[in-house]
Amino acid sequence: MTQTDVAIIGGGINGGSTGLELAKNGLDVTIIDKNFICRGASGVNAGTLTMHMTRAQLIPYAKKGWELWMNTSKWLSNDIDVEKKNGLCLAFTEDEEKLLIERSKIRKEYGADITIISRKEAKRIDSNINSKIKCAAFCEMDGYVSANQTGHAYSKALKENKVKMLENYDVSEIDYRKNKYVIIFKNGEKLFASSLILATGVHLEKTLKLLQININIKCLPQQLIVSERMPKIMDTVITVANGKLSLKQFKNGTVLIGGGWPGKGNIEDNYTETKPENLIGNMMLACHAVPKLKSSRVARVWLGLEAETDDAMPIIGKLPKFKNAYVIGSIHSGYTSGPYMGKLLAEKFLGKDVDLSLFDIKRFL
Amino acid sequence: MINNRKYDVIVIGAGPSGVSSAINCAKKGLKVLIVDLNSNSGGQIYRAPPKTYKSISKKLEESEIQKKFSNEIKKFKIETAFNHTVWQVSPGFKVNAFNETSTIQWQTKSLIIATGTYEKIIPFEGWTTPGVIGLAACTVMLKAHHFIPSKKIVLAGNGPLLMLVAYYIIQFGGKIDAIVDTSSKIDWIRSTLSLITNPKNFKDGIKWIFKIFFNRVPIYSTSSIEKAVEVDRGIKVTIKNFMTGKTKNIVSETVAIGHGLIPSTDITRLLRAEHIYNEQKGGWIAKVDRFLRSSVKGVYLAGDGAGISGALAASDKGLLASSALLYDEKIISEKEFNQYTHKILKKLDKFEVFAIAISKLNSIPKNLIENIDNDTVLCRCEDVTKKEILKAVDQGAKDINQIKSWTRLGMGPCQGRTCQYATSKVVAEYLNYEIKDLGYLTGRSPIRPVPLDRVLGDFDYEKITKVEAAPL
Ligand SMILES: Cc1cc2nc3c(=O)[nH]c(=O)nc-3n(C[C@H](O)[C@H](O)[C@H](O)COP(=O)(O)OP(=O)(O)OC[C@H]3O[C@@H](n4cnc5c(N)ncnc54)[C@H](O)[C@@H]3O)c2cc1C
Repeated sequence: MTQTDVAIIGGGINGGSTGLELAKNGLDVTIIDKNFICRGASGVNAGTLTMHMTRAQLIPYAKKGWELWMNTSKWLSNDIDVEKKNGLCLAFTEDEEKLLIERSKIRKEYGADITIISRKEAKRIDSNINSKIKCAAFCEMDGYVSANQTGHAYSKALKENKVKMLENYDVSEIDYRKNKYVIIFKNGEKLFASSLILATGVHLEKTLKLLQININIKCLPQQLIVSERMPKIMDTVITVANGKLSLKQFKNGTVLIGGGWPGKGNIEDNYTETKPENLIGNMMLACHAVPKLKSSRVARVWLGLEAETDDAMPIIGKLPKFKNAYVIGSIHSGYTSGPYMGKLLAEKFLGKDVDLSLFDIKRFL
Repeated sequence: MINNRKYDVIVIGAGPSGVSSAINCAKKGLKVLIVDLNSNSGGQIYRAPPKTYKSISKKLEESEIQKKFSNEIKKFKIETAFNHTVWQVSPGFKVNAFNETSTIQWQTKSLIIATGTYEKIIPFEGWTTPGVIGLAACTVMLKAHHFIPSKKIVLAGNGPLLMLVAYYIIQFGGKIDAIVDTSSKIDWIRSTLSLITNPKNFKDGIKWIFKIFFNRVPIYSTSSIEKAVEVDRGIKVTIKNFMTGKTKNIVSETVAIGHGLIPSTDITRLLRAEHIYNEQKGGWIAKVDRFLRSSVKGVYLAGDGAGISGALAASDKGLLASSALLYDEKIISEKEFNQYTHKILKKLDKFEVFAIAISKLNSIPKNLIENIDNDTVLCRCEDVTKKEILKAVDQGAKDINQIKSWTRLGMGPCQGRTCQYATSKVVAEYLNYEIKDLGYLTGRSPIRPVPLDRVLGDFDYEKITKVEAAPL
């Protein structure tokens, strides 16, 4: 039987960032994951750090997250590739143009430095984009991370900061006895903790149920497509007005096509399956945005499961009626803002004055 | 692109096992489609020369068997989709394939997977140099095209393919500078003796060996290629005998190397079937029962996909798998099933002796793995070196999928087909683990790279499926 100050269930970007910050503040932290660290959404996501796809209300947080990503050597590790790029969001029709102008305006009100530019200006920024665009939205604050390296970087940083990691430990029950949380694993082992943080991503609904808290968390299976390595065909992060495309070329030459096109999948048995018609739609959109892409071959397709609450806004903060218990998750563009959200929750935990009222779980109870 | 043609059975792979299972099902009245990326049936072993190569088609004994396949396919009204590469199979079952111009989707109640094997190559310094090719790839050139990769060649690796390729190269007028074999001569004698039970193979083996001796081809036993470097108009190879430690340099034009074959598990991994590790049967294989049913209902494995047993056993394995299917679908009675399979199982037991002998010749000596230099690339699609793999392992990557996500190993167009085997060996050796504890790469679609222009064709922007806008 083992003891810890803080037990964090779920070692994704949210649990990992919270744990890292708490450990840096001297707490004894244990991160538990039923898989390896960052092998859920945080290890398989598109890694796009764009304001063009971020929900307006979350822009201030995404901006802070973006800045943290641009300086990983200071707080995380050097073992993860991060690139700053210009971001172009394209409109191909008049309707899309309207939508883009409207959405960009609102995002701007929330602090994103987005400007609408003409076709000509957009082509000057990246000559590879389709010449048939009506206009584009431009933002300098964009870029990407090689998300597959997340697990490597976090494992290393967590280890260096003496965070204990219980990998391949699946939590099946949580008890509260004598001021301690008793976390019971599927393999029968137990862990005693003074405080508890739930960060199980798409599994949050199930984990919250262990504390008799019932809220809906939808599971959105999303497909990603990657090409084989090819010569440079683009130089920006490309998105589209309705938010259903993210496109960029990594340093190694592969092009990643994302945008949240649904596949099939469920959390019960972690099964995922592609929907060929949606792969085709997503690929067409990508080839329309950057025509040179059509000469490439698709090397791999995979899926990730994203969590979404009923109002598509995050849940971050204290769990009502419980002592020293917190939750973090269901954050749109959560990879971008994750490092900052984790930091915020850690500060809240440490008693600092942090306003998380926008994300209070009470709105669902 | 969606073509909703429905079948009772789709057979993927038109080698001997695929063809025999397709015929068995069609004879009982099932609606069968057989798919293969090649232009005709025959698979690797009875590979048909392209139709335009009229003169060579006549010469080969293999072509006769291939012709028999074609006739039977016609006779039993089996639908065919040659020149179609399957890139995705999903439960239910939907099979997606592409050809030269477009993609297509079929549906089927049952699936027989007869996709055979692919080449196993243990990396060495310089194995990605142009001019180094696979031994199995070399047999394709020889059999289908009567084409020798160069006038002078070094053959390396192990197993019977080494001798077969040597035989054909001499036959077609090439010069073999060396055969570099990891096995010893005693290994060969032992294995050849155990082949006596199988007259056809034994006769072939003797024929190959005679030809090689008669032509005085230098054979380096218990040796491997340590290094290959490109030199002016050729390739310099360093051969090392790992018993004596002696090395020798040879300049040749091409190196064809192979260490046996790996059962193809792309589709069964995609369907999340259970797999087990069996070194003797070629590595990771789909778990099957005696009658070749996989752990996924409706999916059967014919041929070498559930373990290598060779060409002669292949058609019987096809019969076995298809009989299980016919019985499960209540098309044949239990009695008929038992009588029929009893005979096949007995025959297959005999072939097993042969399979074991071959697998011994193809066993991977420990030195071959130990001798891989730290700077040698293990994953050639993503240029990941042994050093990078071991660094990830040192930093805590514990299974093959974690190694994949930390280093990009297996993320390229070959999806780990080439690198998984050797990498698992390297890591298992380093950590003193068993390969089964490292797991296998999660199957990901597409199982073969899909050319975007072919899948998409020409399209109008307006025609792209509309999806709901993301929330603001
Ligand atoms: C395909 C895809 C593409 C995306 N693209 C982007 C993008 O480009 N940019 C962006 O900003 N965001 C993107 N996102 C969103 C982003 O990935 C997520 O918001 C973020 O990674 C969520 O992190 P998390 O830590 O909450 O969840 P996760 O990373 O899923 O972590 C949860 C962890 O909890 C563990 N766990 C669950 N149940 C248990 C249990 N009972 N016991 C122990 N452990 C348990 C899981 O194993 C998992 O490791 C994308 C998401 C997907 C799916």
